[in-house]
Order: sequence, then C-alpha cells, then structure tokens
Amino acid sequence: MAKEMTLSGCAAAAQAVKMAKVDVICSFPIRPYTATMMELSKMVANGELDAEFVHGEGEHAQLSVVYGASAAGARTFTGSSGVGVTYAFETYSPISGGRLPVQMMIADRALDPPGDFGSEHTDAMSARDQGWLMGWSENPQEAFGYFVSHIPGKVQLPDQAQVDEFLPPYRPGAHVLDPRKPVSHGPQIRPDQGAIMDLQRAEAFLAVPQVIREVVDSFNRIFGRNYDPFLDQFMTEDADMVFFMQGGHAATARHAVRHLRQKGVKVGLVKLRFVRPFPTQEVAELLSKFKAVGVIETSTSYGGSMSGGNLLAEVRASLYDVPKRPLTTSFMAGLGGDVIPLHEFYWMAEVLTKALKAGKVGKNVYWAGFEQAEA
Amino acid sequence: MAVQVKTQTLPLFKKLRQMPKEEQYVPGHRTCAGCGPALQYRLVTKAAGPNTILLGPTGCMYVANASYLCTPYQVPWIHTQITNGGAAASGIEAAYQVMIRKGKYQGELPNVIVMAGDGGSTDIGLQAMSALMYRGHDALFVCYDNESYANTGIQTSPTTPYGGNTTFTPPGKAIPEGKKLFPKDPPQLVIGGHPAVKYVATASVAYPVDLMNKVRKALNVKGPTFLHIHAPCPKGWKFDESKTIEMARLAVETGMWSIYEWEDGEYKYQYRPKEFKPVKEYMKHQKRFAHLTEEHIAKMQAFIDAKVKAPGVPVKIPVPGPRQED
Amino acid sequence: MFNIPKGREVPFGCVTPAPVGEQPMMITGNWREYRPVIDEEKCNLCGNCVVFCPDACWQFNEADDAVVWNAKYCKGCLICVNECSHDALSKAYELDFPDGVVRLEKPF
Repeated sequence: MAKEMTLSGCAAAAQAVKMAKVDVICSFPIRPYTATMMELSKMVANGELDAEFVHGEGEHAQLSVVYGASAAGARTFTGSSGVGVTYAFETYSPISGGRLPVQMMIADRALDPPGDFGSEHTDAMSARDQGWLMGWSENPQEAFGYFVSHIPGKVQLPDQAQVDEFLPPYRPGAHVLDPRKPVSHGPQIRPDQGAIMDLQRAEAFLAVPQVIREVVDSFNRIFGRNYDPFLDQFMTEDADMVFFMQGGHAATARHAVRHLRQKGVKVGLVKLRFVRPFPTQEVAELLSKFKAVGVIETSTSYGGSMSGGNLLAEVRASLYDVPKRPLTTSFMAGLGGDVIPLHEFYWMAEVLTKALKAGKVGKNVYWAGFEQAEA
Repeated sequence: MAVQVKTQTLPLFKKLRQMPKEEQYVPGHRTCAGCGPALQYRLVTKAAGPNTILLGPTGCMYVANASYLCTPYQVPWIHTQITNGGAAASGIEAAYQVMIRKGKYQGELPNVIVMAGDGGSTDIGLQAMSALMYRGHDALFVCYDNESYANTGIQTSPTTPYGGNTTFTPPGKAIPEGKKLFPKDPPQLVIGGHPAVKYVATASVAYPVDLMNKVRKALNVKGPTFLHIHAPCPKGWKFDESKTIEMARLAVETGMWSIYEWEDGEYKYQYRPKEFKPVKEYMKHQKRFAHLTEEHIAKMQAFIDAKVKAPGVPVKIPVPGPRQED
Repeated sequence: MFNIPKGREVPFGCVTPAPVGEQPMMITGNWREYRPVIDEEKCNLCGNCVVFCPDACWQFNEADDAVVWNAKYCKGCLICVNECSHDALSKAYELDFPDGVVRLEKPF
C-alpha cells in the first residue's frame, strides 16, 4: 500500500536506500547531505534496515569503502556535498573503470573557498569526466528516485513489494572478490592498452542511454509515474523560448514560467535529468523546436569556452549540426545557495525576448541580478 | 533469521617442515631478484591459505607483481589506491559480514589482508589504516617495510632510517647525512590508541616460521590486527641481492629491528640478542649508508641503544629537531 | 564498431583470472646470470632454500626426500646459496649448462 509522507530530499533519499535493501553504507558528515546518513543510522539502529553502517574517516574513505564493498558483491550507498565531493576525487575513476556499481548521493554545495553551505552544482560538475552516470532531481519525490536535500515536500512512498519488483536482489557479476572463484581485480596494463581501456569505457557509456530508457520505463510502470528519461518539459507546447536547467531551481522556474505565461510571454521550461550521459540527440531534437534558449547555469567553469558555466557549451555542441538553431545564451543564477527570485526569471525572459527581436544574443553569459540595466 | 558469521582458526606450527606446502603467491612476478617484500608476500599468503582476499595498495607489491595484466596471487586480489588500503579492506569486510548475515554468501568469513608498504601504512595510507583499526573490522593490515617509496625509484618515507640515502634525501654539502629525520615507529602508531586492536606484532623475513605463525595468530583474532614486517630491498638499500636474509638477520642482531608481539597490553619479545652487534655491522653492507661519517653512525648507535632497552617505548632523538639550533 | 588489435584487449573492468600454481605470463627464468646447483649428498633437507626463495623456486618433492629446482622462474638471486646450512648449494654460470637460458638484455 503506497503511503504519503512529508519528507525533505535527504529523508526521501534515506527511504529509498532502505527500500532498496542496501548492504553497506559509508557515512561522513558534511552539510547539507548529512541528514540522509542521520536517517539511515536511525533505521539501522532500530533494526529497520539490515546493513553495515560504516563510519568513514573522510569522503575519500567513504568512496574507498564502497569500492571494496561493491567489489565483494554488496549493494552500496554513500554520499557527500561540496568539498567532500572533490576530496574523494581520486576514487571516482577507479570505481567507474573497475565497473563497480556504487550509488553516491550528492547534495550539491558550493565549493570552498571559503565555507558556503549553499547549493551550487560545481562540486558534482567537476567530476563529469570520471565515467559516472550523473543526474539531478528537482524535489523530494524525484529524490526518492534520485536526490534533493532540504526542502520538504510530499513524497509518495511505494510499498516494498513494488520496490522489490523494480529492484530485484543484487546479483553481482563474475568479477567479484570471492575465494571460491579467485580473480585479480586491476593489474597494471601496458601503455599501449591505455587507449583501449578508455575506448571500452566510452563504448559502455554509449550503451547507457538505452539502459536508462528501459529502467525509467520500468520505474514508471511499477510506480505509476510519468518521467521522461532525459528531459522534462513544462509548458513548452507553443513556446517561442525556453529556460534550460537542471536541479532544484526548476521548482521556482515552473512558477516563473506560469506567471510569465499569464503575462502572455510564450516561454517554457526544459529540465535536464541526466548530465552524464548528456542526451545530445534528445537535446538537439527538442531545443531546435524553439527560437531561443536561456540556459540557466548553476555551476561555474572559470576560463571555460563560455567563460561562465558548464551547460551552455554542452547545449551549443549538441545543437551544432542542427540546420536551424535557436539563439542560445546563459544566465549564471542560483549560485552559492541563492534562490533565484521570480523577478530574475522575468528579467531573463526580457533578455531572451530582446535577443529574439534583434535576431542575436547580446552576449553568451549574463550574471543574473548583477548586470547593469541591460534588458 | 540472521546467519551467524563464522571465521576459521588456523593452527600454529613449530617447525619449518610443517609449513603449508601450497603457494598462494606463485612464481611469475616482476619483482627484483632477491626482493624482500616478495618473500614476505609469499610467506604471509602461505600462512593465510586459500580462504583469503588480498588488497594491493599501489606500491612495489602492486606494480612489480601485477604487470602486465597478470598477477601471482592465487587468491582473490584487488588493487587499491596507495591512500586507501585500510578503507577498501573495511568495505570488503563489511560486505562479507552483511552478506553472510543475510544468507547471500555461504561460508566462513574470508581472511581480509591489506598488503601495504611503509608509505601506504604510515604516510599517505595512515588515515585509512588507523580508521580500520578504530572501527574494529575483522581484517589484518600488513605493513611490509622496505624503508622507502621503492616503486617510484627509492624516495624517503617515514620509515627510512636516519642517514638513509634516497633520491629525496641525497647527501650533499649542506646536508651531509642526507636524511636528518628519525623514522616513525609503525606498531606504536597502532598500539594504545585503538581500543579495538588486540594484537600487533613485528616480524622479519629472516625468521619465517615466526612470521607465518604471527600471521595466523593475527588472522585468528576476531578484529583488526597489524603486522610490521621487515623486508630488505636490495635495490633501494644497495646491497647484493643474495644477501637479503642476511641483512634482515643483521638488523635484528644489531637492534636496528626488534621482533616482538603486543597482545592484550602485554609485550613479548622474540630473537632478542644477549649482546647487540654494533650498528656499523649492519650499515657497512648497504651503500645507502656509505656517505655517513663516524659522527653520524654514532648518532644512529645512540638511538638504537636507547631503543632496544624497551622496544615500543619512545626515545629521545640524538640530533636536534629540524627547527632547533645545532 | 571499433577495431581493437589482437593482443591489446583489456578485459572487462580490468579483471583477470587468478593464476593457478604459476603465472606463465611473467616467466622470469631468463633473468639469471647464475643458477644454483645442488650437491644432494650434502643436502640435509633443512628447507632453508625452500622457505627463503621469494619466487618459490625450491620445493620439496612428493616424497619429501629431496628439493626440486624451478628452472622456468628462478631469477638467480642466489639467496638459497647464501642461506644453505650445509654448503650443498653453489652457484654456476648459466650458460655453462646445455639448457642454459640466454639472459634477457633489457627486461622492460
């Protein structure tokens, strides 16, 4: 029997971990994801969840512990935020390249310097090249399927039988560490094999989108949801322009789009679910339907080709071969934990409208809220 | 209904002829001829037997053994970063505890053994090693000590002896001794500070039966254990490769290495010479000490004299600290 | 989809089978310049050569009445010669033997 609870994203994630019957969890505190581990530790202490709750000595250790546990054949879970994510950096490639399934939750947080607990995506975005599947959730319900930390929302929890149907018991592959079937996991390779190792990893990634489609299909069917695997659309039917973004700020964006529509602005929202694998084809097909795209950047890439965030370059690359491309520009917004106020969305819509009239964008990167009067 | 986690008990033996015949570390590895760490690897794994999972943090015992696309480990083995042997071992141990408990794995808990070098144990790997000890996982952490970061071409590590010539501590006009710092004491890093640890021991490749029995004793303990094994390195210490065992024996005979066990708070010593040979007898065979003057050797002697009185008890170093006046 | 040259493939996740008994992908018998030679009369089966070889190249035979040398992997470090308790082992130049292996010039 599905039941409804009001949970923060962190708490919803903990419920998901419990229902997935994870075997090994490795914790280390850092704001703002810590609450998930607190919830899980209560579940373990109460006997609600039979798992080894390992107190890691740091984020690098957290990932290392689940590396070992996954190699031994256990279903694993860990998580972090901000500089914790970057401290563990060494471990990401060995895990993905070693083909070890590990689930890591990142409640995004701005990177030091100095300390800033607010949300920003640069922590996770810095690890895009490490070979992991990476995606964002917008609200606690999606967090249950994926993850968003602190804003409570209504979450419909499925019953265990549904979860068991979606996620059957983990049957690890032939390459686990088992004294009954010894293997050597990770001997050195020759330099002339390096390229091949990379190629094999690249090939594996090419197969991922299809797997995502199948899994989301199965998820939707079993849990009665209607998620698109890669791109979520809101009021895009006859839109001239859209905001393109990922993560929790999409919730505010939806309100903004609704208000703007009421004012007669033909704007919509396209929300990116997975940044890795980046749904290049889907992005090209969908965004080419619009005349202008305002990419909302929630992470930074100093000195990058767009000298702003990370998404605009990926969007433009996806659109490069499309014969009729929309105008594209980007808005640095919601960084460092700032909420994106509605009036900033209105300002962004004005910038896009002006660009459409002029037939070109004024510039590639706008720092929303800090520009001199431009629109 | 949770399944009980059972672990095996390995019998100790007295004579060399009683050691297990089977090799778990088989011929066919790219370690240097006469490699001390390779020998301790063979003895540790022989004592541990087939119900074992090994971890290989990056180092000589990874790179030399596992090149290329092949290893000499007959039991399951996984590479780890040099930083995280202890952490990955914790994960494997935790996984097996819960998999056995949930009935997902039928069998006794495998031995989980980290084979880390001195760097991977006391330096870059220290944090993970300590955490394994603190959390009480049922695993054995072996520190094979060749007194340097050998794999990268012999650089100083926290266990390189005072005066040891390495490529980061070369002797020169301004620093005639080469290495000014006295080494860390790895077993002491573990003993006393980690309440879950019940057994710590040192061993040497020169005393193989003692070594193998200590491995078994450590594995029989239900909890974290630490073994510090002296493993002379012909390439790094610059001595003839046929003399590896001789060097290990001389280390004990001069007091440069002490063999002991710490069990539930009690120290027991093995192979303690009635009279110690002068440290010069050990150092003169190794070109890594060839640049040292009588004065430097005297400092080493003073340090060892103090140390052998009670191995494990900290002694004052006989030279000024790095920030003190001469 | 791609052309991967034979001999350069990397197994899934870089996981390789564990060896059994020996690792023939790393034969090291061609490293040695000298080989150990045994005088069986003098050997008292103390087992030093068996226990001190880093490459496990001395083993007791089935009947436990002799020690057997592994020519395929012995690197010629001569620890065994140095540690033999009864002078039963001595070193001899590898190429003096009809089955002598020419030393690998540059291992890698």
